[in-house]
Amino acid sequence: MLKYILKRIVMAIFILMGVSMIIYFLIRLMPVDFIQDKINAINQGGATVSEETVNAMYEMYGLGDNSLMGILEGYFSWLGSLVKFDLGTSFVYGIPVADVIVEHMGISFIIALIATVFEFLIAIPLGITAATHQYSFRDYLVTILVMIGISLPSFFFGNMLKDFLALKLGWFPASGLVNATVSYSGIELLVDYLRHAFIPILTIVILSIGARMRMTRTNMLEVMNSDYIRTARAKGLKEKKVINKHAFRNTLIPLVTSLAGLLPSLFSGAIITEQVFDLPGIGNIALDAMNRGDIPFIMGYNMFLALLSVVGVLLADLMYAVVDPRVKLE
Amino acid sequence: MEDNKNIDITSEAEETVEVSEAKVDEVEDSEVPLDKKVRLMSPTRMVVRRFFRSKLSIIGLIMVIGLFLFSFVGPLIYTQWGEIELDESGKTEYATSEVTYTVDGKEYTVRQTTEKFLKDNFLDAPSSEHILGTDNEGYDIFVRLMYGGRISLIVSFLAVILITVLGVILGGIAGYFGGVIDNIIMRLCDVLICLPGIPILLIISTILDSSDIDAKYRIYLLMIYLTFISWPGTARLVRGQILSLREQEYMVAAEAMGYSTSRKIFKHLVPNVMPQLIVQMSLSLGSMILYEATLSYLNLGVKAPYAAWGTMINIISTNQDILQNHLNVWVPAGVCIVIAVLGFNFVGDGLRDALDPKARR
Repeated sequence: MLKYILKRIVMAIFILMGVSMIIYFLIRLMPVDFIQDKINAINQGGATVSEETVNAMYEMYGLGDNSLMGILEGYFSWLGSLVKFDLGTSFVYGIPVADVIVEHMGISFIIALIATVFEFLIAIPLGITAATHQYSFRDYLVTILVMIGISLPSFFFGNMLKDFLALKLGWFPASGLVNATVSYSGIELLVDYLRHAFIPILTIVILSIGARMRMTRTNMLEVMNSDYIRTARAKGLKEKKVINKHAFRNTLIPLVTSLAGLLPSLFSGAIITEQVFDLPGIGNIALDAMNRGDIPFIMGYNMFLALLSVVGVLLADLMYAVVDPRVKLE
Repeated sequence: MEDNKNIDITSEAEETVEVSEAKVDEVEDSEVPLDKKVRLMSPTRMVVRRFFRSKLSIIGLIMVIGLFLFSFVGPLIYTQWGEIELDESGKTEYATSEVTYTVDGKEYTVRQTTEKFLKDNFLDAPSSEHILGTDNEGYDIFVRLMYGGRISLIVSFLAVILITVLGVILGGIAGYFGGVIDNIIMRLCDVLICLPGIPILLIISTILDSSDIDAKYRIYLLMIYLTFISWPGTARLVRGQILSLREQEYMVAAEAMGYSTSRKIFKHLVPNVMPQLIVQMSLSLGSMILYEATLSYLNLGVKAPYAAWGTMINIISTNQDILQNHLNVWVPAGVCIVIAVLGFNFVGDGLRDALDPKARR
């Protein structure tokens, strides 16, 4: 087991190197005068980008030297600072990129975590009923509803909910995370947060429920066709017991694996949803940063996302080996 | 070519199993030879029959065909307005306000009406002139929906075809040859799968800003990146299938016949991967349309004055008035996206069920 884990970690490091190469290649594609233009635009917009910050960024990415050796040297110096979690200094915020990410990823994480909990709580029972009543009216109804959910673009559905629930009915605040006009504390503050986060979470849950429900349904159907289910029925167990004890437990294997893979991505932020509801999460910050030309931030953010997905794949694989004893570790 | 016949029969060994649904005509005539009593159905016909038996697939097919006609034939029939043709008929806006004057200590209230002539006929309500009204610039929404559909469908079809070609070639090579080549291609897949989608497109879009590329072609360049990060999914699917198919008897026979490698891959292996591939293609068409719409919504893809469904919704992110009071400007585009994605998903699902040899319905 230990050997397997070590092997997977080494592989993950190599994948991360590959990803970083591609991301580094992108910044080399940017013309230098274009970067200068962006900096000038930020300076005109009110914020000041100090000469130091700019020089530090040039040095970190090794920009300016366009020979092959220069590019290689630039890449390795950048990689060196990455290892030390040094992602450079943000142009717009004037503080290290890593600090900006840490500051804003919490909001994204909490919203995504609540959404994921609800997603699993709703999707799993739906998937099980659809599977145990295959080809029935219930199955079709659930399938069609979640298919519509999958097909909705987040920006469209988010705006619809915002228009209807927030602006027309006025039940929830339309944007932001706190009510700026009143200063709450304690329980009231928490309620205010939840009221603001309600529609974004609802949007995410409805859009993501479909994939999870279909996954549960497919796995459940597969399990229901296996021999031990027939055995369980043959020995006269109640249908309830067959489904809940024998079938469902084996359906959990892929669900637990996917949950492990999902965990890191909860930190990555939902760019579109956060933009629609103007939440101060990491996704919205990144979108804003890119529109304002904050190159160090967006590069750091992309590296952060790549790290999260590499860790996600690693966790999913390890989890798979843990929960399913049939998996051979090679 | 004579001796090829033998091998072709063996290569269809998989398919002959499928003909188990052959119908036995209930004719009790002993003079009719046995093989005439049995009506054989080709696998293709069987799939088509199973596909059309499901109502959802038919609905999906109608949605997809309808959108195709709407976006490609529509502009030829409905020629009243063009994609970037402003309605410059103008309109007069009246604003009434009450003004209070104080003259010699007495107050006089005067109702004042200002008449303002606006050059462009923007934010028009739906009428016979404009079926869905006009947007904030004065473009006809109904016509722009058609042109937006063209872009969405063309871009996503191109992307899916490219993804499939790349995936089949690279996945096929990896699965067939194995060893070092397989390792290299699969590790490349691992890397590409970990690349972020939209955030990197943000960077690429900025790079495109710095070079002067026609607004019309940006979206194609962005979709190339999506192709680049999406082919590993197809490649993995093809590779997995080929790994199991490689061990089948008919492949041993093909080997014994001394066929060339490319013939073995493309004539014997790839056709057997086709079912899964077709399903994958129709499902990824839906997700590509979503991607295109999202890019245009973020103002990265198709930019004004050209129309795309996402671009048409983009306006509400800055304009609260349109979001609340002019639903005819942005809701139709969203409905079009949902219809397109849902249609392709229904068709893909129907195909999956129809092509599944294990399905008994």
